[in-house]
Amino acid sequence: MVLVQLTAALLAFSGIAGLYMVLSGDGHYFDVGRFLTQTSPYSWGFIGIGLCTGLSVIGAAWGIYITGTSILGAGVRASRITTKNLISIIFCEVVGIYGLIMSIVFTSKLSAVSGPELYSKSNFFTGYSLFWGGLTVGLCNLACGVAVGVSGSSAALADALDPSLFVKILIIEIFGSILGLFGLIIGLLVTSKAADFS
Amino acid sequence: MSLSEYCTPYAAFFGFAGVAASMIFSSIGAAYGTAKAGIGIAGVGQFDPTLIMKSLIPVVMSGIIAVYGLVMAVLISGDMSPAENYSLYNGFIHLAAGSCVGLTGLAAGYTIGVIGDAGVRAFLEQQRIFVSMVLILIFAEVLGLYGLIVGLILNTKTTAEC
Repeated sequence: MVLVQLTAALLAFSGIAGLYMVLSGDGHYFDVGRFLTQTSPYSWGFIGIGLCTGLSVIGAAWGIYITGTSILGAGVRASRITTKNLISIIFCEVVGIYGLIMSIVFTSKLSAVSGPELYSKSNFFTGYSLFWGGLTVGLCNLACGVAVGVSGSSAALADALDPSLFVKILIIEIFGSILGLFGLIIGLLVTSKAADFS
Repeated sequence: MSLSEYCTPYAAFFGFAGVAASMIFSSIGAAYGTAKAGIGIAGVGQFDPTLIMKSLIPVVMSGIIAVYGLVMAVLISGDMSPAENYSLYNGFIHLAAGSCVGLTGLAAGYTIGVIGDAGVRAFLEQQRIFVSMVLILIFAEVLGLYGLIVGLILNTKTTAEC
């Protein structure tokens, strides 16, 4: 529901901006290509690096609080589950670490370039690859964190009833955590061919 | 038709958007499928632990949806490099292919999650319903496969000329 409202707001804003430009005689400024080639490649790169860590950590945090509340709640009556179920919390934490590592790897491509040589084809490629690579890692880790969190929550509740169930429900968590790994792989692939800023 | 004026430097933006769309949306679908089916499986396991292994099928199928997205993302990013010619044509093809796989994967993963949850709960009550559950799950999985097929066909149409 929020997503629908956000998309509608975005479309309305760009529609109004476009109409204003057309009606005031500057319609040629509404130009996606001009926008993409006149914004600094650094802006794309840095936003990607920031989103990489930020969104991954949001996923990790979301997963941790979903799992943690269930562990704490079930642990009141079945206190034996509290140590073993920390594995689920660790699975969620690892998702945040993926984002951290990828951001550090991405920052190795950054180097200072001043003047108009910044706007070269190779630098655009690097900027766009950092943006989309970072966004991919971040959003995949977000989805992964939530999935692992929900699975960990149900694992904790099953464990509280019957200790032998924990390992079997852990399999579901493992399937959930591969999503973060896939995001990591694609982030690495996408930025591997990009040269440093020069 | 000459593509020389369309080998713009910003074409890579759309190509990478395709990679991202492919991986992100299929991950969201797979995450929903894993989590939703996982809730049902954990519930089923509390009543009859011997059924858990067979009930893991929806979770595996959600993983396969994520793999579809991974495959397309790897294929698209393999075609892109800063040295070779990359036209807007290629960029939009990759965006289309990635969106195809991603959005169908999102739909398929969501469906697998809902069917998996309801299916394993029914499987707990009536063991013979297992075959129906698997059949419906296969139909849901095949939705993601349709997207992969169209994405692969689109991906073959890229051109190296500029």
